[in-house]
Amino acid sequence: MGNTPGAGLYIHIPFCVSKCAYCAFNSFAPAGFDTSAYLQALHAQLLRLSRHPLVEKNIFSTIFIGGGTPTIYSARQLAGLVSIALDNFHFSYPVEITVEGNPDSIKQKSLYALRRAGVNRLSIGVQSFTDDLLASLGRIHNAAQAENAIKTARKAGFADINLDLMFGLPGQKLKEWRQTLETTCRYGPEHLAVYELTVEENTPFADLAAKGKLKLPHEEIVADMAELSQRILADAGYIRYEISNFARSGYECRHNINYWQNGSYLGLGAGAVSSIADIRISNTNDPADFNKQIMAGNDGFSGAEALCREKKFRETVIMGLRMVKGISLASLRKRFNLDPREYYGDTFRRLLDNNLLEIKDGGLRLPEQAMAVANQVLAELV
Amino acid sequence: MKNIRNFSIIAHIDHGKSTLADRLIQTCGMVKDRQFKEQLLDNMDIERERGITIKSQTICLPYKAEDGKNYILNLVDTPGHVDFSYEVSRALNSCEGALLLIDASQGIEAQTLANLYLAMENDLEIIPVINKIDLPSADPETVALQIEEDLGLDSDLVQMCSAKTGEGVADILEAIVKILPPPEGDVNAPLQALIFDANYDPFRGTVISCRIINGRVKAGDRIIFMSNMAEYRVEEVGIFHLQRRPVKELQAGEVGYILAGIKTVSDTRPGDTITLKANPAAEQLPGFREIQQVVFSSIYPISTDEYENLATAMEKLKLNDAALTFQKDSSNALGFGFRCGFLGLLHLEVIQERLEREFDLPIILTVPSVCYHFYLQDGAMLEVDNPAHFPDPAGIDRTEEPFIKATILMPDRYMGTVMNLCMERRGENTNYHYPMPGRIELTCELPLAEVIYDFYDKLKSITQGYGSFDYELLDYRPSDLVKLDILVNGERVDALSQLVHRSNARARGLHACERLKEEIPRQMFKIAIQGAIGGTIISRTTISALRKDVTAKCYGGDISRKRKLLEKQKAGKKRMKTVGNVDIPQKAFLAVLKSEQT
Ligand SMILES: Nc1nc2c(ncn2[C@@H]2O[C@H](COP(=O)(O)OP(=O)(O)OP(=O)(O)O)[C@@H](O)[C@H]2O)c(=O)[nH]1
Ligand code: SF4
Ligand SMILES: [Mg+2]
Repeated sequence: MGNTPGAGLYIHIPFCVSKCAYCAFNSFAPAGFDTSAYLQALHAQLLRLSRHPLVEKNIFSTIFIGGGTPTIYSARQLAGLVSIALDNFHFSYPVEITVEGNPDSIKQKSLYALRRAGVNRLSIGVQSFTDDLLASLGRIHNAAQAENAIKTARKAGFADINLDLMFGLPGQKLKEWRQTLETTCRYGPEHLAVYELTVEENTPFADLAAKGKLKLPHEEIVADMAELSQRILADAGYIRYEISNFARSGYECRHNINYWQNGSYLGLGAGAVSSIADIRISNTNDPADFNKQIMAGNDGFSGAEALCREKKFRETVIMGLRMVKGISLASLRKRFNLDPREYYGDTFRRLLDNNLLEIKDGGLRLPEQAMAVANQVLAELV
Repeated sequence: MKNIRNFSIIAHIDHGKSTLADRLIQTCGMVKDRQFKEQLLDNMDIERERGITIKSQTICLPYKAEDGKNYILNLVDTPGHVDFSYEVSRALNSCEGALLLIDASQGIEAQTLANLYLAMENDLEIIPVINKIDLPSADPETVALQIEEDLGLDSDLVQMCSAKTGEGVADILEAIVKILPPPEGDVNAPLQALIFDANYDPFRGTVISCRIINGRVKAGDRIIFMSNMAEYRVEEVGIFHLQRRPVKELQAGEVGYILAGIKTVSDTRPGDTITLKANPAAEQLPGFREIQQVVFSSIYPISTDEYENLATAMEKLKLNDAALTFQKDSSNALGFGFRCGFLGLLHLEVIQERLEREFDLPIILTVPSVCYHFYLQDGAMLEVDNPAHFPDPAGIDRTEEPFIKATILMPDRYMGTVMNLCMERRGENTNYHYPMPGRIELTCELPLAEVIYDFYDKLKSITQGYGSFDYELLDYRPSDLVKLDILVNGERVDALSQLVHRSNARARGLHACERLKEEIPRQMFKIAIQGAIGGTIISRTTISALRKDVTAKCYGGDISRKRKLLEKQKAGKKRMKTVGNVDIPQKAFLAVLKSEQT
């Protein structure tokens, strides 16, 4: 399957001006790191991997520069990465090119430059339009800056904008979440990623939680928040196409869909993960270490995992079920020569009987009411 | 034989037996510092995790004494918890002496006395050792006084040490050599080897731990187990270092192991005597006292097709844990399993964990029970330790339940609260006296059923750890029992039924519902939990439906990690038993009994 068209190219920028209290991403405050050396290392890894035997034959169709906060780099620097990528890998056009940024570091001038470099999708880490909540998350922007960032992006001509939003925040009220959703809809972005806050290990929030000092809203309220998002966003014309992702028709994120289809992708930069030729490889996490390894002429990898066919099949099923339209039985058969109905046997029938799975239009999927408890089903299939 | 000393280290729980064993092992140069880890002899995972000894462990130490002679010291580290006193009594059977350890800050506690009496019954020479003298709260003088007055032991013999720092350990070794007698026995008499323990080695078969009382045994000998006349050819004999170490021959007075390619697990019985076929002994050694199981519960495999595996595992475990008894049982909800007898609730938990860890068998234990006597109107008497066999209430004439005599030692300031606890638990004939100023020894007659639940935990907590407890079975006394059933979504779960005293029924029913509510994870539908006696519902709770369980984010870099989390969730599900359509976790079955999260 190495050469299916539509592989994704991900470039990781592991720096943020300051670290948010809930964040478990591979990102660091830039002080103490040589960020321009890191950029050079990225260039070097791009060139090196473009000639790697496992990668050479892949045809890519998306680029995603994520973080961290990619916009800590200038537009010229980011544009440089995009053009090296476009020049050295095989692409099928049109290419979806996304850059992530945070409201505090989005400037109109640089957005023009990004557009000129071919970036056609902008993802903004808004999270909330409630100032107090933003502050308690440790975000360094406020609601007004977020609104400005959206307006600026529009002015710069971005016609495909994503906003990241979070609910279930410490102290958040249902009313506040409704306001955030309503403000969001007023700006009419094409795409929305709506996440429930997850308290991840080794974060300040996890420490607070361990001490009993993190006052998360009651589970029932959080469930209400999730339902509210679905209602408001549906009314506003968004289609939910994945557990946490909503888009206007035609604006689904191709780069991410490739992940949920368990397709091939190449991850560049510290901590990024590749899945190529059925091997999953992770890069070393620490940016300085990454620089050193790349400059020493190494691949910069720190670990690899190869799953057997059945495990990969199961993983593909559980990833595919994150999407509302599910996963096509025909594609599973083609790729693995396996049919979930036979493979899972009784478990499968039980899930079907209990309306926790359904088969529709040749696709295996979670019925709407099972989406909120997806893990209960996925844990049977993993 | 003059240069052999066989001794046990005995004490109340946590007084430092295993730590002292460490120091003795190190002082004798048995381990390189690099290989050393604390409580070296506690080698089961469950022992290391809980920080307590469960099995007695033997190790053979070479020691060069001040008199210039070389000695062989066979040390047995024993458990201190009351549930495992059977381990202690067997260990004492293979020894001539014992170190009785007493924590310098805690003083004499219930198992100090209990284990001392065991040692005295076996006519052992006893060296009292006051340990933990390094503690700021240590009060060795008072403890020495207690030893003389309370225990009636000779205070001249008392050794002081810190097993932690090693202070005093050298003197203890000298005392062992000087004070404890060497074994007696006749090397030239026919072989009599006492089996005191065994375990199963998948490659070599049964490993028999034995004390050679008379005679000698070596590889090639044909041996006979005297209780069942099973015959084997010895493949290897040896002694216990940190690993097994083969030797040419074991002789009277020595402690060691025998390998004879024994694959029939049930042939080997602790307490049995081994002799030689060629020159058999005239009679069997006395063996061990009968063990009295006090708690009964059924074990079922979570997946019903593992019954055969469970049967094999139980056999092997029994070899290593002579205190376990079992017989076949069955349940509507759980299929085939075994009704087992245990020495206490901790013993039961240990068996559960060992089955899971050593045999990889997820199991369910039903609500533990004691053994009741039902006198029926037709004159018959039924012994019932399984709620499933509760007779038709209409046919019951009268009922009796087992009572124990509890002995509780504590500082006198806890007197009031402890008396209250005993009253709450239907205690009778409470008495007390002051063995020493400031300390109380309280005795009380209690229904065993009230004690197996959480009495010990409660006692510990209300006395802030200073109260200790020992008990002996007394007799059966009139009782009034009902069967409390638990219904989950309207379906009676037989494995959750329990026999309770009528006066406690409502409280127990409520408690069971509450605990199940805590233990059963929310599921995709609402779950009703009810307690019932006969057709009457006496308590109820509901578990509301699960509304969310979903991973918010999952992109390229997260896939492996998120998949592993789901795999973990799946493994967790496997450890639950589906009754009707409700998944009940393993823990829930025992939790019904316990007062709080432990
Ligand atoms: N300060 C101090 N602590 C000690 C000493 N001896 C043992 N301890 C500590 O006491 C605790 C119990 O020690 P163990 O050796 O496990 O006690 P045990 O008697 O073997 O306990 P069981 O086998 O469960 O009956 C541990 O935390 C030891 O570190 C000592 O001499 N001084
Ligand atoms: S901006 Fe994003 S990546 Fe950076 S610290 Fe905050 S949550 Fe983490
Ligand atoms: Mg111990």
